Formats: sequence, structure tokens, C-alpha cells
Amino acid sequence: MPGQRSRLKIFPALALAIFLLPILAGLLFTWAPAFGYLSAAGSTHFSLEPFATLLRHPSLPGALRSTLISGVGASLLSLALALWIAATLYGTRLWSVIELSLAPLLSLPHAAFAIGFTFLIAPSGWLIRAVSPYPSGFTYPPDWITAGDPWAVSLTLTMLFKETPFLLLMIFSGLSRLDVRRTIMIGRSLGYRRLRIWTRLIIPQLYPMLRLPLLAVLAYSLSVVDLAYIIGPSLPPTLAVLIDRWFNAPEISSRLVGAAGSLLLLFVTLACIVSALALEYLISKVGSRKILDGRRQSPFEVLVPTGSLYALVLLAVNLFSLLALILWSVAHSWRFPHFFPTRFSLTNWSTPLRQLLEPLSVSALAALLSCLLAIILVVGCFENEQNLARTRIASISQRSLWIIYLPLLIPQISFLFGIQVVLVIFHLDGTWPALVWVHLVFVLPYVFLTLANAYRSYDQRYSYVGMTLCGGPLRTLFRIKLIMLAKPILFSMAVGFGVSIAQYLPTLYVGAGRFATITTETVSIASGSDRRVMAVYALTQLLLALTGFLTAIVLPAAMFRKRKAMQN
Amino acid sequence: MAYLPMRLLSIVIVMLFLIVCQDPAKARDWTEILAAARGQTVYFNGWGGSEVINRYISWAAEQAGQRYGVTVKHVKVADIGDVVSRILAEKSGGRTSGGSVDLMWINGENFHAMKNNGLLLPSYTQLFPNYPLVDTENKVSTLFDFTVPVDNQESPWGMAQLVFLYDSEIVTDPPADMRELLQFSQNNKGRFTYPAPPDFYGTTFIKQALLELTTDRELLYTPVNSARFEAVTAPLWEFLDSLHPHLWRSGKAHPKSAPEMKRLLADREIFISLSFNPAEASNAIATGELPPSIRTYVHDGGTIGNTHFLAIPFNSSAAEGAMVVANFLLSPEAQARKSDPAIWGDPTVLALAKLSPEQRSLFEAIPLGAATLNPEELGAVLLEPHASWVAAIEKEWQSRYSK
Repeated sequence: MPGQRSRLKIFPALALAIFLLPILAGLLFTWAPAFGYLSAAGSTHFSLEPFATLLRHPSLPGALRSTLISGVGASLLSLALALWIAATLYGTRLWSVIELSLAPLLSLPHAAFAIGFTFLIAPSGWLIRAVSPYPSGFTYPPDWITAGDPWAVSLTLTMLFKETPFLLLMIFSGLSRLDVRRTIMIGRSLGYRRLRIWTRLIIPQLYPMLRLPLLAVLAYSLSVVDLAYIIGPSLPPTLAVLIDRWFNAPEISSRLVGAAGSLLLLFVTLACIVSALALEYLISKVGSRKILDGRRQSPFEVLVPTGSLYALVLLAVNLFSLLALILWSVAHSWRFPHFFPTRFSLTNWSTPLRQLLEPLSVSALAALLSCLLAIILVVGCFENEQNLARTRIASISQRSLWIIYLPLLIPQISFLFGIQVVLVIFHLDGTWPALVWVHLVFVLPYVFLTLANAYRSYDQRYSYVGMTLCGGPLRTLFRIKLIMLAKPILFSMAVGFGVSIAQYLPTLYVGAGRFATITTETVSIASGSDRRVMAVYALTQLLLALTGFLTAIVLPAAMFRKRKAMQN
Repeated sequence: MAYLPMRLLSIVIVMLFLIVCQDPAKARDWTEILAAARGQTVYFNGWGGSEVINRYISWAAEQAGQRYGVTVKHVKVADIGDVVSRILAEKSGGRTSGGSVDLMWINGENFHAMKNNGLLLPSYTQLFPNYPLVDTENKVSTLFDFTVPVDNQESPWGMAQLVFLYDSEIVTDPPADMRELLQFSQNNKGRFTYPAPPDFYGTTFIKQALLELTTDRELLYTPVNSARFEAVTAPLWEFLDSLHPHLWRSGKAHPKSAPEMKRLLADREIFISLSFNPAEASNAIATGELPPSIRTYVHDGGTIGNTHFLAIPFNSSAAEGAMVVANFLLSPEAQARKSDPAIWGDPTVLALAKLSPEQRSLFEAIPLGAATLNPEELGAVLLEPHASWVAAIEKEWQSRYSK
């Protein structure tokens, strides 16, 4: 079917066009000020002065240190711990509990979690309140550094607890492509203990599917702004926060330094990605020699119970952060050392509910549109891929598809200012197409990531049977394949829906103030002091994201009510 | 389709009107501006971190719609710097009209930067019918924003004065100046702090300390003098060096903002906080955010005061509408409502003496609130140092404490 193939070819090309051109333009227009060019500020000559100012800045070394500790620490730790949970808990009841909790864990927005988590660990927070004034003797909160510590430990922990569920999701979807049950059986029959089966047999097969998610987590952790504001160090803050401040500073000229800083952050991120890949290469070199040494036991086998310990901590931290938010949202006053609010009130909910109607609908519409576009493009790309695989033609567009992951690997702050200028030039800022597009840029890679394993492991023979029975590849696609894949498709759309809802900087830079979303409203209210109202906004944001996941769970259940084989 | 020609005609009229009124800053009749404003949509960009303020703005938006046919959309931002960036991007992209921002809430350094870079509409507040009511004689900062001449390029909106909030259940004798604050911190280790610059409040606290401690205050009102910077600021650094070890978290971490300090005060982590709104304590007690034991104090010898403004960007797509809204927000009715601590508690920029008796009674009817100081207690207002000092002080602060 040459016609079909050439039609499908458009999908990777389209996906690439959506990403490559604007991001390149965005990068260029952000780099121009880094080299001294910002016509609006009357600076029109090439100079390296912004870089000199950046490198001389007293906060730079400390900011880089915090950025590296929290970014590299959080991503490596969350990968290690997610794998540890999988290796130690696979097949247990806790493992199924984790699988069930993934949807709510993923829909808890980063900033909301950070606010709740800060309230847990602060010296005036819930943990200390639990023991105050008895038996701790604290009538006033102790002057300890917990949240916002200068070593970025609390920031690292926040990201660790937030990124582990995402990597677990990727592990779940990766494992669905491997025949884990039988691998474990064979391993056991050969006398391998649990950890050895995972390190020698499963993880080597699983890791290639985790590589991109890990790099995405790495890039995200290095460049995150909102979490670093809430729970990051303050003297100095992380590099991303410094850059954000330079872009916001009253002196117009500091935007040049901000642009130089964003180039530095891009460089740091790329350097970390390359190091991670080098580390992976090294481990696989060393590991591939050891993998055949025949040892059945690992000395770490005694540590297996710690897997459930970490899993429980992860669940508890998320649960209690959420509970704290819920209590704050209905509190009137709740001072130290009271463990529960001393007065309750529902008025916190009354004003926002009226004001949040419009932001909620804007968020939902943007998320829905970007998800639908994303799923069309992603399914198109996969279909093209499978077509090519069948005909064994490797195409350039297919091989360059990794570019759609670019938005996950490049710090947002490195290209958004430039994108804003480009959109202004073409009079596209503040328009729906621009908003949906910028969300799509971030939604698509996540939809791609979460759907890839399920889609690629689909048994094509169903489609062949379908084609012989009723003809038409399109008919087969819509009547058989997409229906059979409805569950993973809807779940990946729910992930995309959540990603779209969470977009703050892209909405801000592209929206021209025309689109108030639940997230822009939450971030602006979070710049204030009232924790009660913040909790209301954060919970509303959570509810919207959760609606997406619930739909993705309930809809297939309803669709397959009468099809037993589809109900698992 | 009978209405089509009428519609075309009205479009032509509007277009002609727009051509005639290309420069809204040209001396024009207020009735013309009112007519042009009708039907416009004004995008009001401002900090949106406070529900109390957001509620007040949505009241004003409703009024503007009913009275003048102007639709006001409140664009809430976490940092007005984002909006300055957007206007800058629009200028970079060559958009000299049809901009996305019509009215913005700014002052100080942001105004200074926008004015210097030609990002604001040329003078227009002199056209406002309510502008003559502004107390320009006694509230000098309505004319000089951080000593930078306002030149009618921003419309005064509210007054601010640095005040300290304290928990009267814990602190019985609040400090009367910076030296006593240092003593307080030494006696109550970890119970005071200030936001890290470049936060607005952190910078203000440092400027207040500088004004109190320096021997050469006059120099601070002229553009920063790098030759004498060291000598003028030496007492400040000496003070901060001795203060920091006794601050919250031993000075190793600072809050990011004054709102965060308000939370710390409510959580009993700190005993003294600061604010720019003299009525903030009363308002926060009313909403339950702070306990009823919170009170306000100022330093002897006065504290820094300034004015916050509303400005119209150079490329606003609804400049007339923005003017009408800014003028309405200057009206005695809107100003009185704003100064009510139960609503917002933001002090007025108007001169009560210039108002009619009925207008004055609007203000006199407002209860001050138990935690608010009366004008005599608030004492002298110190003017902001010249805007250029801020960057210099921030830089030095960062190289000392933010490494």
C-alpha cells in the first residue's frame, strides 16, 4: 500500500515541524540577548559582557552547587529507588497498591505537593506539632533548618518523592513489554535469588526503556523553578531561580544576564545528560563482564525489606501532604502547636469557586485539545513506524523522531523568552492556537513515552486477521486496534492532560495574559501569604488532573463491561 | 442582514476615530476619552497573590463595566516583572500598538526602568477629573516615585509605609529603632528575619536600616555615587554582620518574601514581621490569617513610605479605557472602599481636605481596626532613596551574604 505509507509519513514530519522550528527560533531569540543584542533596551551590538557579568556574579558558584546537588541527586536517587521498589516488591500486595496509587500520585501537582511537604517537615509543621508541646517541650517551633536548607536536601527530597512515581509508571509500562513472570521463573529455577534476577536478567532489558524518562527527569530537576522557589535554598537560590529573577528584574539590562544564564543552564543540562549516558556506558561495560559470573546471590539480599519501607514512606509522605492541604483548605486558624485546626471554615472555598470557573474551563479545554492532537500525532507516528518495520525501510524522519523529546531535555527557561518574541512578531501571542501548540510541545513527548511500550507490544496479528475479515487498514485500526489499546491510550492521554494542566511558564509566556488557567491562578495566589486559599487552589488543580485519570480508568471499564477478556 | 451597513458604518466611524485619536496623550477632552473608552476591554495586569486585593479589583471591574461600559480583565501574576518582560518582548517584536497590557500595577524600580526605556504612555494623568484630589503637597511620593519624577506617566493608587507586625502575646516592648531590633534579636535568637533581596520587602528593610544608620542621608537621594558607596554604607554592613547570626535559621536561610514572613508569624516561628501596608495586621486578623494578638509598630524617626501606581504601557490597545479605570480607582468612593481594613486597608492617596464633606464622610466612617496605628502614631514618612541605590545595595548584599 504505497499510498497509505506516504500518507503516514506526514506524521513524523508534522511532529518534527511542530517542535524543531519553534524551539530553534526560541533558542536563537533567547541567545541574541545573551550576546548583548536586545534592541528594545537599546543594546544592539555584539558583546560578551552578559557572560562576564554572569560569571562574576557572587551567587553563581553556590547556585550551581545547589542546582547540581538537587538535579543530579534527585534524578539518580529516584531512578535507584524506583528500581529498588520494583526489584524488591514485584508481585507483592504492596506492588499492586502502588500500581493503584499511581494515578492520584501523578495528579498531585508539583507545587501543591511542595506546599504540603513543606508543611510536613517545617519546624512549625505537622511532624513537630505531633510531638509538641508534649513530649518535645516546644511551645514555639524550634529554630531548625529543615525546609529550604542551604544544602538543597529538602529540595532534593521533594523532587525525589515527586519523580519516583513517574519513573515507577515508566517501569510498569516497560515491564508490560517484558515477560517478567517467566523470566523470574527461569531465574529461580536456575537458583538465582530475587535481586540477582533483577540485576542480571530484568533491569538490563528494562533500562533502555527508562533511559529517556530518566534524562527527562534529570533535565526537569536541573531547571525547575516553582519547586525551587517553594522549598529550595535561598542564599543563594538555584541557578534556575536566579535566571527567572534576572528575567523579571526591574533593570532591563539584567535580562541580558538572564539570557546568558539560560545558555549556561542549557550547557549544564547537556553536560549532565552526556555524563549520565557516559555513566550508563561505563556501568554496562563493567556490568556485562559480571553478568555472566554465575553468582546466584547478592550480599544486598538482606536489604530487600527496605524496599517496602521506602514505598511506604513514599506513599505516606504523599498522603499526609495531601491531607495537610485538605485540612488547610477548611481551616480558619491553625497555629503552632495545634495538631488540628482550632477553627474550621468553608469560606476559603466560596470566593475561589466562583472565580475559578473560567480558569478551570480554559485549562480543561487547552488540555483536551492538546491531548487529542497529541494522540493523533502519536498514533500516526507509531503506525508509520510499524509500516516501515514491516517493509524494512528505515526513514530519516523516523530516526530523527527523538527530537520530539527535545522539549523535555532543554530547560524551558532557555527558549520561552525567544518563543514569546517570535510569537509577537507573527501576532500569534495570546491566541488559542499558540496556547494549544505550546502545551502540545510538552504534552506530546509524555504521551509518546507513556504509550510507546503498550503500542509497540500490540500483537499485529489481530490487525492482520481484521484486514482479512473486513478489509481496510483504517477500519481495522479504528474497529480493532485502537479499541484493544483503549486502556493504555486513555491512560497516556490522562498523563498528557495532567502535563498540560501543570504548564505554568509556557502559558505565561505565550498567553499574553489572555488565558488564566487554574495553574497561573494557583501560582499567583501562591505568591501571597494565605496558605488556606493556596490549599483550595492546589486541590482544585489536583481535582482537574484527577478527573483525567478517573476518566481513563472508568471509560474502558464501562466500554468493556461485556467483554471479559478486556477487563483485567 | 439589515444591520450590516450600520455595522460597517460604525466600524468606519471607529476607525476614523482611532486615526484622529492616535496619540491619546494629546490634550483631549475627558468626555472624548469616556466615549472612546466605552466598549473597550482593559487588561489590568497586577500581582494576584492576595484574595482580598483580587476581590477589591473584581468589585472595581464590575463598577467600571456598569458605569463606563469598560470591561476590565484582571490578569493576576506572581511577579509584575513577567509583565515588564512581555512588554519588552512586544517592543522587540516591533509591536508599537495593540499591546497585550493596558494597565499595570507598578512603582519604584519597575517604573524607573519602564520610563527610561520608553515603555510607558507619555503623560496623561493630568487629564483625569479626579487627579486634582491627590495629596501631592503632603504625599511627595505621588510626584516622585523613588525620587524619579512621575511626570504624569503613572496614576497614584495607594500609599505604603514600612511597618512592623509583632505578636503582642509574646513581645511586650517592641523595638523602637534598628539598634533595639538588634538587641531584640540577640535576646530572642531566631525570632526575626527579613526577606532576601532582590525581594522588594527585603530591599526596603535594608534601605530602612541604611537610612537610620548612615551619617550621610542626603547622598542617598541623589543617583548612586560609587566613589562614596563604601563610606556611606559601612555602618549598614556592620549592623547586618552583627544581626545575621541572630536571625531566624541563623541567617543561613531567608524567607523569599514578606507574605512568607506573614506565614512564619502566624506559625509562631518568628515574633516580628514587616509589611508595607499599615492596615495589613487588622485586615489579616479580620480574615483569620493572623491571630488577634498581632499589633503594629514603627521605628522612632520614621519609616520608609512610598506610593504604588497604575501605569499604561506605550502600546496599550485600550489606553482610553485604562485611563477611565485609573480615574475611577482614584475616585473618593473607590479610594475609601480600598482603605477599609475589612476590605483591603490600603491607605488613600487623596487629600481629605480637598474633598467635599460627603466625600470626606466616606473616609471618616471607616473604623481604623485595633491593630492599625493612627496617622500620628505612624509618624514621619522617610522618602525612598534614589532608585539607582537599590541595584548597588543588592549587589553588595549578595556578594556578602548570598554566596
